[in-house]
Amino acid sequence: MTLRVLVVEDDREIRALMQSSLSVEGFEVQTAVSLSEAGAMLRHHPPDVIVLDLGLPDGDGIELVREVRRHKAIPIIVVSARHQEAQKIQLLDAGADDYLTKPFSVGELLARIRVALRHRGTALAAAVTVHALDDLHIDLQSHVVLRDGRPVHLTPTEYKLLARLVRSAGRVVTHRQLLADVWGPEFTEHTHYLRLYMAQLRAKIERDSAEPRHLLTETGVGYRLATA
Amino acid sequence: MNTSGTSQNSSPSARSWLVVVLLLAAATAVGLVLDRYVTLTSLAMVYVLAVVIASYRLGWIESAVCAMGAVTALNFFFVPPRWTFVVDNRENLIALATMLVLALVISRLATGLRRETQVARLNESRARQLQALATELASVNSEEEMLTVGRATLDNAFAGPCFLVLATAGNELEHADGLDASVRDGMRQCMVDAAVLGPGTGRWPGLNAWYLPLGEKGRVIGAACVQPALAGDEDGRQHAQALCSLLAQAVWRLRLTASMLAAQGEAQQQQLQSTFLAAISHDLRTPLAAIVGAASSLQTQRDKLSPAEQDRLLGSIAGEATYLSAVTENTLQLVRLSSSAQELRRDWESMEEIVGAVLARVRQHDPGRRIRSRVPEGLPLVKADPVLLAQLLGNLLDNALKYSEGAIDLTVSVEGGELVVSVKDRGAGIPDAGQAAIFEPYARGDQAGPRGAGLGLAVCRAIAQAHGGRLTLRRRQGGGSCFSLALPVELQPSQGEGS
Repeated sequence: MTLRVLVVEDDREIRALMQSSLSVEGFEVQTAVSLSEAGAMLRHHPPDVIVLDLGLPDGDGIELVREVRRHKAIPIIVVSARHQEAQKIQLLDAGADDYLTKPFSVGELLARIRVALRHRGTALAAAVTVHALDDLHIDLQSHVVLRDGRPVHLTPTEYKLLARLVRSAGRVVTHRQLLADVWGPEFTEHTHYLRLYMAQLRAKIERDSAEPRHLLTETGVGYRLATA
Repeated sequence: MNTSGTSQNSSPSARSWLVVVLLLAAATAVGLVLDRYVTLTSLAMVYVLAVVIASYRLGWIESAVCAMGAVTALNFFFVPPRWTFVVDNRENLIALATMLVLALVISRLATGLRRETQVARLNESRARQLQALATELASVNSEEEMLTVGRATLDNAFAGPCFLVLATAGNELEHADGLDASVRDGMRQCMVDAAVLGPGTGRWPGLNAWYLPLGEKGRVIGAACVQPALAGDEDGRQHAQALCSLLAQAVWRLRLTASMLAAQGEAQQQQLQSTFLAAISHDLRTPLAAIVGAASSLQTQRDKLSPAEQDRLLGSIAGEATYLSAVTENTLQLVRLSSSAQELRRDWESMEEIVGAVLARVRQHDPGRRIRSRVPEGLPLVKADPVLLAQLLGNLLDNALKYSEGAIDLTVSVEGGELVVSVKDRGAGIPDAGQAAIFEPYARGDQAGPRGAGLGLAVCRAIAQAHGGRLTLRRRQGGGSCFSLALPVELQPSQGEGS
């Protein structure tokens, strides 16, 4: 079965570029130039993944994200310019799955779509519980974290933080989401907790904390557990 | 406090007549008590004392009346034959006449002395008012504040009612609707004449108030109306003029400051525009030419080009476009940082994480891993905008990769309350003379030389300064440059949550 991608983008050139490069990869591509058009398409013919540009002529997209999240687990990838940080984070917190910053390469777009599709339906089916990349192996069901085959001892908070990233492996998790899920909703402004515990986690898991392989920083947005 | 100098000229009140009567009665009573023990001369002295007191405390008329009353009372009660107005002895008559003259002279002198004291007090209080006004005006920041201070001072200095209004360049009064038509007319006329109108000025002496312009001919910025105004009160008028000239100076100072700020803003705006133009003309045109050249070559000659040639052209398009996007980002960031409205999105950030994120991106152009990073553990957090710091570090590393060969060292350390991030290369280095200039955005519109150096470092410095930090450059021993970013380390947030 072909997977369907809905590209919501008002710029003709970028829309055409996405359409051709995604078609080549075997996706069935639908395009919409505005939020209202995208809304109509969603109702009639729901896609498997949505690529949503920020700064569309008829709104900032947050309504669309909320609308989609009310009913469906369709992955949403937000595409933003560099100065749209606040808006981008707002959409991620509202339930968008990942983001891309303009200008991006086709390779990056495809990688994001692949990760998003892998998580598709996790809200309904079992979440990702096993993660393995290079020297790192994590199994959440048996509570095991191995580096080079040797167990890594984590404090309860460190473990909760790592487990939260594993469940979204490959996708960005915003500061707010991490703080709310690990410490509790009243701690969403305490980003300094995250800095401290991420440093501790890196010291235990990474070979070089200053150039992490696994626990990647998405500057100003959140963290991502590398999957490739 | 009303220090108006006009009360001394008012007619005597019932209260001062009562004082005269009481003084004479007291002198007579004392005289009657002392009568048995002293001579007539001493009794006369008691009355003279009463006259002196009356002259010093009361007006000229009351003290003159008091002097005559004293002589009459002395005659009636004590000069033989007593209890009559008759004087039997020539010597006593002369004594009474002398005393009358003496009492009148004393009363005249005492009244004069009192008036001089009053004038001295008034002058002193006016000098104080001028000084206080000058002090208050020095800290005034708007014309509204100036008006408030000015009105309070005029009300304090004169019985009033006083008015103070600013005017437009065309002598149109501002916010003067509440004033009488006559007051508005007087103000307008004094501004047109640029001179004081009213009693004693020779201009419109029939008015019951002084109308004073604020400022001098050609630079009149408002007017004041001061009451009461008396033709003879030269000092009062001069005081009003002195106050008005202080107020006018304050307004000029405010307007001068405002126009200086506006000029500064305009100069900054022009600087920005020329920076923009320079970026477009130089940093954008060259890569655009390369992209269009490569793309059109592929369009028209693809069949003739070898696959390797085609790859090179495609690589050039991607590379130049990436460069264009960096230039655009830097230019936009510089403009954003230059407009004071820009608020940084600061949060507690870890320099280790920022370095890690920047390296992850820069390594794409560093296949030989020339960059060697050294980041110690346990660094303090910094309160910063992470996206901006990442842009700063990325620019420094991109430059080092582009302009030098060999190893590049990236180090982070804490030195004297500051977090210092250094990027060291072994490139050609920058001569001392050019070190200040490389942080400036283009000073000229069209600049030759290696591209890319234009805005990157200017943005870096602007970012450092926006964080209260410094970006410095020094030459390394043995060749090469060392760029250092120093950020203040603030009081660290408390880690309330355990484990």
